Amino acid sequence: MSKRKMLGSKVKQLLAGVSDHGVAHLLEVETDLIQTTILLAEAIEKLGTNFLDLHTSVLSQEEQISLIVGTGQVPAENVERLHQIQADIALHINKAVTSLQFQDLTNQLISRTMQRSAGLRELLCTLDVVGNVISADGENEEIEGLLTEVTEKLEQQSIELKSLLRKTVNQEHLNSGDIELF
Amino acid sequence: MAKTILAVDDSGSLRQMVAFSLKAAGYQVIEAVDGQDGLEKAKNQVVDLVLTDQNMPRMDGLTLIKSLRALPTYQRVPILMLTTESSDDMKAKGRAAGANGWLVKPFDPQKLTEVVKKVIG
Repeated sequence: MSKRKMLGSKVKQLLAGVSDHGVAHLLEVETDLIQTTILLAEAIEKLGTNFLDLHTSVLSQEEQISLIVGTGQVPAENVERLHQIQADIALHINKAVTSLQFQDLTNQLISRTMQRSAGLRELLCTLDVVGNVISADGENEEIEGLLTEVTEKLEQQSIELKSLLRKTVNQEHLNSGDIELF
Repeated sequence: MAKTILAVDDSGSLRQMVAFSLKAAGYQVIEAVDGQDGLEKAKNQVVDLVLTDQNMPRMDGLTLIKSLRALPTYQRVPILMLTTESSDDMKAKGRAAGANGWLVKPFDPQKLTEVVKKVIG
């Protein structure tokens, strides 16, 4: 086989290799992302339940403390201290509720990443499809034409993928967001 | 009688935190899992305020707002967005669709309660 004609064979091999290896790795990525999603879902379910149970217990405790304070036998400074602790607890609860929203944000990011990964697999499959069309002993001009065609297809698919992706999450911290009334 | 808020979000954990915060402040909360579910529940019972996410399956927040505003019973009901999005462009779209306010996630329960009190008392 002449050097020229070897090119077609090599290009086919390259496109098939990039496609196969890329798809294989992306499938692993998606598997890991699915597992991450499952673990996060379980974590937030448990954290949420634990938090609500803890809050219920704290409220019950505060009720009892109020009853004791109501007897009038608790020194004023202790009453003041209890009120301060109550205020601190309310503050901590607010912070916990804000932080517990992490799963919503991370889930959105994971979902977007999985969408992109699936889209990327489709792009790589396009390489494989075009690679199959290239004849092993094809002429340079034919190969050039097909590679140009695949470049255009990839650009189009990439644009379509971007339009389908859910919006990204820009939050980099779990500080509460802005509020605006119109 | 306690005022009722419809909380629409496809995230179960987020709905749980919204419900916890608002119930603690004395409000009743109805939860919906997406815009379509929210619209159906809103039609079944007129609520005092709608709090909705934007990015949801089946029907997104902006579409829900437009659908609600098309209903005679929801011409004046306050609707607030609670979303990760914060761009001026999206806020403008929300306002044009009929939203009365925009809250960026994650929310602080005290601030959420304050803004709800300000809007519906």
